[in-house]
Amino acid sequence: MEKKLALYICKGCSIGDAIKTEKMENLAKNKYKCAIAKTSDALCGEDGLAMIKADIAAEGVNTLVLAACSGRVKYEEFDFPGCIVERVPVRELAVWTQEKSDAQLAFEDYVQMGIIKAQKGDMPEPYLMETVKDILVIGGGISGMNAALQAAEAGSKVVLVEKEAALGGFVSKLYKKIPTALPYKEPLIVDAEIEPTIKAVESNANIKVFKSAKVEKIEGQPGAFDVTITANGGSEQVRIGAIILAAGWKPYDASKLGHLGYGKYKNVVTQVELEEIARKGGITRPSDGKPAKKVAFIQCAGQRDANHLPYCSAMCCVTSLKQAKYVRQDPEAVAMILYKDIRTPGRLEYYYKEAQNDPGVMLTKAEVSGVTEGPDGNLFVEMTDSLLGSAVKLEADLVVLATGMVPATADDPVLNLQYRQGPGLPDLELFNGFADSNFICFQYETRRTGVYAAGAVRQPMNMSEAQEDATGAALKAIQSAEHVATGMAVHPRAWDLTYPDPMMTRCTSCKRCTEECPFGAIDEDEKGTPYFKPGRCRRCGTCMGACPERIVSFKDFHVDMIGSMMKACSVPDDEDEPRILVVCCENDAYPAIDTAALQKTKIDPAVRFVTLRCLGSMNLVWLADSFSRGVDGMLLMGCKFGENYQCHFAKGSELANYRLGKVQETLDRLQLESDRVKMVEVAIDEYGKVPQMIADFVEKIKDIGPNPFKGM
Amino acid sequence: MSDQIIKPDLKFTEAIIAAGGESLKKCYQCSTCTVVCDVTPDRKPFPRKEMLYAQWGLKDKLLASPDVWLCHQCSDCTAHCPRGAKPGEVLGAVRKMTIQEYSSPSCMGKMVNDAKFAILLFAIPTIIFLFELFIQGHLTNGIPRIPNGQLMSYSLMFPPTAYIDPVFVLTAIFAVVMFYKGVKKYWAAMAANHPEPPRKDVISAVIATIQEILTHSVFEKCGVAKDRSIAHKIVFYSFVGLAITTALAASYIYVFNYNGPYPQTNIVKWIGNVSGIALLVGITMVILNRFKNQEKSGIGSYFDWFFIFIVYGVGLTGMLAQILRLANIPVLGYPMYFAHLVFVFVLFAYAPYSKMAHMVYRTTAMVFAKYSNRS
Amino acid sequence: MQTSDKPSRILVIGGGFSGLTTAVDAAESGAEVIIVEKNAYLGGRVAQLNKYFPKMCPPVCGLEINFRRIKTNPNVTFHTMAEVTSIAGEPGNYDVTIQVHPRMVNSKCTACNACAEVCPATRSNDFNFGMDTTKAAYLPFNQAFPQHYVIDTKACKKDCGTPCKDACTYGAIDLDMKPETLTLKVNSIVVTTGWNPYDADKIETLGSGKVPNVISNMQMERLAAVNGPTGGAINRPSDGKPVQKIAFVQCAGSRDENHLAFCSYICCMASLKQTLYVREQNPEAEVSIFYIDMRTPGRYEKFLNQIQADQKVTFIKGKVAKIERAKGGDVTVTAEDMLTGDKVEKTFDMVVLATGMEPAGMSHQIPGVNYVEGFAASAAGVYAAGCGRNPMDVSKSAQDATSAALKAIQAGKGR
Repeated sequence: MEKKLALYICKGCSIGDAIKTEKMENLAKNKYKCAIAKTSDALCGEDGLAMIKADIAAEGVNTLVLAACSGRVKYEEFDFPGCIVERVPVRELAVWTQEKSDAQLAFEDYVQMGIIKAQKGDMPEPYLMETVKDILVIGGGISGMNAALQAAEAGSKVVLVEKEAALGGFVSKLYKKIPTALPYKEPLIVDAEIEPTIKAVESNANIKVFKSAKVEKIEGQPGAFDVTITANGGSEQVRIGAIILAAGWKPYDASKLGHLGYGKYKNVVTQVELEEIARKGGITRPSDGKPAKKVAFIQCAGQRDANHLPYCSAMCCVTSLKQAKYVRQDPEAVAMILYKDIRTPGRLEYYYKEAQNDPGVMLTKAEVSGVTEGPDGNLFVEMTDSLLGSAVKLEADLVVLATGMVPATADDPVLNLQYRQGPGLPDLELFNGFADSNFICFQYETRRTGVYAAGAVRQPMNMSEAQEDATGAALKAIQSAEHVATGMAVHPRAWDLTYPDPMMTRCTSCKRCTEECPFGAIDEDEKGTPYFKPGRCRRCGTCMGACPERIVSFKDFHVDMIGSMMKACSVPDDEDEPRILVVCCENDAYPAIDTAALQKTKIDPAVRFVTLRCLGSMNLVWLADSFSRGVDGMLLMGCKFGENYQCHFAKGSELANYRLGKVQETLDRLQLESDRVKMVEVAIDEYGKVPQMIADFVEKIKDIGPNPFKGM
Repeated sequence: MSDQIIKPDLKFTEAIIAAGGESLKKCYQCSTCTVVCDVTPDRKPFPRKEMLYAQWGLKDKLLASPDVWLCHQCSDCTAHCPRGAKPGEVLGAVRKMTIQEYSSPSCMGKMVNDAKFAILLFAIPTIIFLFELFIQGHLTNGIPRIPNGQLMSYSLMFPPTAYIDPVFVLTAIFAVVMFYKGVKKYWAAMAANHPEPPRKDVISAVIATIQEILTHSVFEKCGVAKDRSIAHKIVFYSFVGLAITTALAASYIYVFNYNGPYPQTNIVKWIGNVSGIALLVGITMVILNRFKNQEKSGIGSYFDWFFIFIVYGVGLTGMLAQILRLANIPVLGYPMYFAHLVFVFVLFAYAPYSKMAHMVYRTTAMVFAKYSNRS
Repeated sequence: MQTSDKPSRILVIGGGFSGLTTAVDAAESGAEVIIVEKNAYLGGRVAQLNKYFPKMCPPVCGLEINFRRIKTNPNVTFHTMAEVTSIAGEPGNYDVTIQVHPRMVNSKCTACNACAEVCPATRSNDFNFGMDTTKAAYLPFNQAFPQHYVIDTKACKKDCGTPCKDACTYGAIDLDMKPETLTLKVNSIVVTTGWNPYDADKIETLGSGKVPNVISNMQMERLAAVNGPTGGAINRPSDGKPVQKIAFVQCAGSRDENHLAFCSYICCMASLKQTLYVREQNPEAEVSIFYIDMRTPGRYEKFLNQIQADQKVTFIKGKVAKIERAKGGDVTVTAEDMLTGDKVEKTFDMVVLATGMEPAGMSHQIPGVNYVEGFAASAAGVYAAGCGRNPMDVSKSAQDATSAALKAIQAGKGR
């Protein structure tokens, strides 16, 4: 696109009171070759917008630099299709956060940076490749089958892979289930009825089912995954657009629960085993086949326990209440449930109430300390801290252990991705092996684009929750296949049509990008040369920040662009006036600054803000360049990292911090103090703290003294 | 680790449910009940733990505890219970079962608490008194003959010294013996279940208990069913008044040889009439309160209503008999007096098994509670 | 899936976290979405939250991303201060009427604050649950989206609006703005009307509204929030004293047939989170949590363990059923500690009632939407998601809303 620049300066919202525009207008026209440089009393008003539109029509300007307010507001007004629009938030950064005496210089800096950004940027052109939209579902349990059915209903073709010889998963092993719908009234146990679902899957023309099958490997990228499935001794390759991981769970290994008598006494069984006993007809004791009359359920067996599963499996309380009703099919039998806390959240509380409202279903809070056997083969459950007494025993002829759920991904990558970064999903260790999302707001996010987890492999959950979960995962899978087909990124930059376009001729195969990419989007070929898979890419620019050769570029975001902007920023000659560049994440730190500005909070005039897609795209060359031209300090503002990371690109801020650890070398070469650069974690709601963080840093820089390169 | 073995008893739980505790399984052990209860001790408060024991059918823990009697069924717990488990009702059922458990013979307990036997229970005194009329020759073809033309005096048909008093004295002895047996067992059970050493001697515990009963000081703390304590107090004191009346009347006859009917100006008449009216007022209030609090605390069981019926019957027939005598309507008056005798018999003879027994068991429990430093 | 067909048109009722999620997920899958939100801003309840459990991250972070997705997606439009008044038709083909209440400020507003500076009237700040006031011309909160002011007509009487109208140089204030009725044709509807905090004043025993310094958990969120009435300082309302001893009362109205019979799902985690607010702000502060069952399902258990490890936090198994005024603004709480079996009476500086979530349908039902005991229930063509459907937390709402997006798309497909 032949760019024709225009600069528009808004004088509204007290901008006009604080700054003079003539100098900037002249600079724009003469230095930056803008075709137009105009002002408006209110650029977002009818007149201002009409002026811009007229210029687009009459003058053919197509690259607009709008020196007005933040891009977070007035987005509808300043939408000019077909034009590159660069919003320069002079209202916030030069006026509202600055004293009047400092506003003019800040204004000039920001506008020049904006013009350079506009000059250096290009209209995005999407990365288009041949894609398919078929969905692979791994796992043929209740989650997988529902995901397949929902995706098929929405028109997708689905390939479903189940490791067992039959579909149905755990539900097909159940004797009964709890009613699917409220109100929970007798009968509280109903047939599991998985058969109709299995039939619906197997008879659906859009669903191809592989049974006794395994995903051997997955290569490629969203829209063009090549999935190798082995089944019945043979193997088959299918091309897939997106993947739903619904590999389910397995029960925790009860043989580790010797203290509860499992493995020692025949009449100690697990909940899963009780289903099997019940299916055979009647609750009987494994030791002698006699009907069990006193059944004790030990909740949280090997759960909520640092020595076993530290988490709660969320469904065992309801399962025991359900199984208590199995016991109560014999009117003389009693079911005794020993719990730490009864967990029936939401309206499952009603199930608790109904199931409990049976004379033979008895409950108490208790900490079970052990199970012993009496001479007659009866078992004694020893409890402390029970409501029945602080140290009591309970006699039972059958003990049922509510053992927890272990996700299929706990010790098996399942996906077998042929990615440079490994075969499974990263972050599993954060969630005890569950393929869960780190993001509260975005439950289906994984760090492998186009792969969405659903059901008990994602979080411990019950059947109806798993079905809902599967539906959502189906949507995400469909959505990602759609996006990759049009070259658009998926969450969180779900609007972005740019993609990383490395200049491979200059690549040194240092592999930093392949190691650092949070999404495993970059593989290596046989020679070790990085190989970008744009379909997997989330467009955070971490590769751009990682690359020492600075060869990774997006159309509207590249190392030279940001570097040039920084260079356009003034560095006062006066030794008492430091210049500090604050490089901040546009998702959280910048909105925080914007909010501080809205509250007219003043920020130290030494700083100039430069925003990045993610702090992960922070390239060290900017530090070197800035310091060598006299910038006194650099402050990086990124999201919180570590275990509860808030970075939308998972690793961006952490990687920026990691790279800073290596900046010492650069600073040493320049003979500069390492304290001149610092990274701080800023959350979006820390707008109250940002001015102080900056003031503290400015103070520190003043203590260190001016950059010796100043004025050189 | 203690060797205490919990033995759940489904049958006992079912029995409590059948005895009016049908909501007991709804309890989820939040202890709202113990907190809203103003009459429970702070240490090991009730009724939360009793609800758990009831759910597990722990008969020993429930029937050998004074706590169920420390409850005055104010129903604050029931009103605030988040699950509709009605602890007040459940404890009421447990109290009923306590009476049945310790009273003997146990068949009597069952009969008193079963509507099927109500007619039989009334038939016994009816037959006794008809038999007395028969002996005196007041029956013609099996139908009582009403004395006519004379000044009305119930002693004409029912001479106290020869016929009435011996029956009631025997009845009273029976009741006292039965109560004694029950209380003895109950005390022993409580003592066995509460091995902690007592802090008070029995005498001062008894004194404190009597003080508490006379003032209703604990009962008055009730919130939701506040009116109940007033009604109960009226009924209680009317019984005290009637007891005084009976004692006075007995002394007139046996000490001063002064036979009735007494003039309305006589002190015994004063006390008797005031007490009788108070009884009717009190018991009417009891009934109204039950209807008023029906939603929050439940209407009560047959056990409750049988007792209310008897008390009401005693009061009403007594007052009417007097009015009919003064109005000189012998054709109604004599049958009414007959009915009165039947009701009074029912009240006393079945007292060890009916809700009347609460008077004794509650008092015992209160004494024990004080004796064992429970309240 | 949508590219070849005519896109589905989906109405999303409620612009809280569930509604936003349904909207962006459906729109990013090709559907055309209209959000109707009754508040003056999008974001709903989560906008009022200080942090999310268990990550202790700010809710506006996720909102910001979703707002950006809305800003950049032409398939999403929204109406604030709007309510659905009628729904007619059948799956695939609905006629919906929407009432838009006058904001008195049009989209020319630049959020420059000039109106508020001159506004002579004040109003109770409902965003902060009445714990402070704003001018009658106000921005609902500092990170509100859309960033447009509102004039509260109830607080702004007659000529009172003149100064702010004069102060606005952009012609953004229109004091003659009238309610507007819009009609829409959509293929399917998703109801994400969310929840209201249960009115704790209805709970006789817990002192709310009677005993000073007894507040609700949502008030606590505002109290701890940097844009709340105290700038984030956890000071008790009666005298502004920093809180040293605080109690959390679980199941305040939840799991209670006299109030909300269900478990509100979030309150245990919310109180643990708020415990952390207090403990992080004041290392000396002591916290007591009174509970029936601690419900921290799944990996939330880890969060429970974290709080349990704090020596200054005491857990008491036993529901509080008595809260009384004590000396000097303190509050006395009574419960039975079930594990010792004794009644405990403790005095605190402030007490937080973990009040539950009352689904929006309990107080207001939209004609044409199916409700069961106040919870919106899905039916063909009209789907429910989020806390208006079932008590759930934000993450479950996000998940639920994504599921609803697919159902809505399916219902609108090929019509």
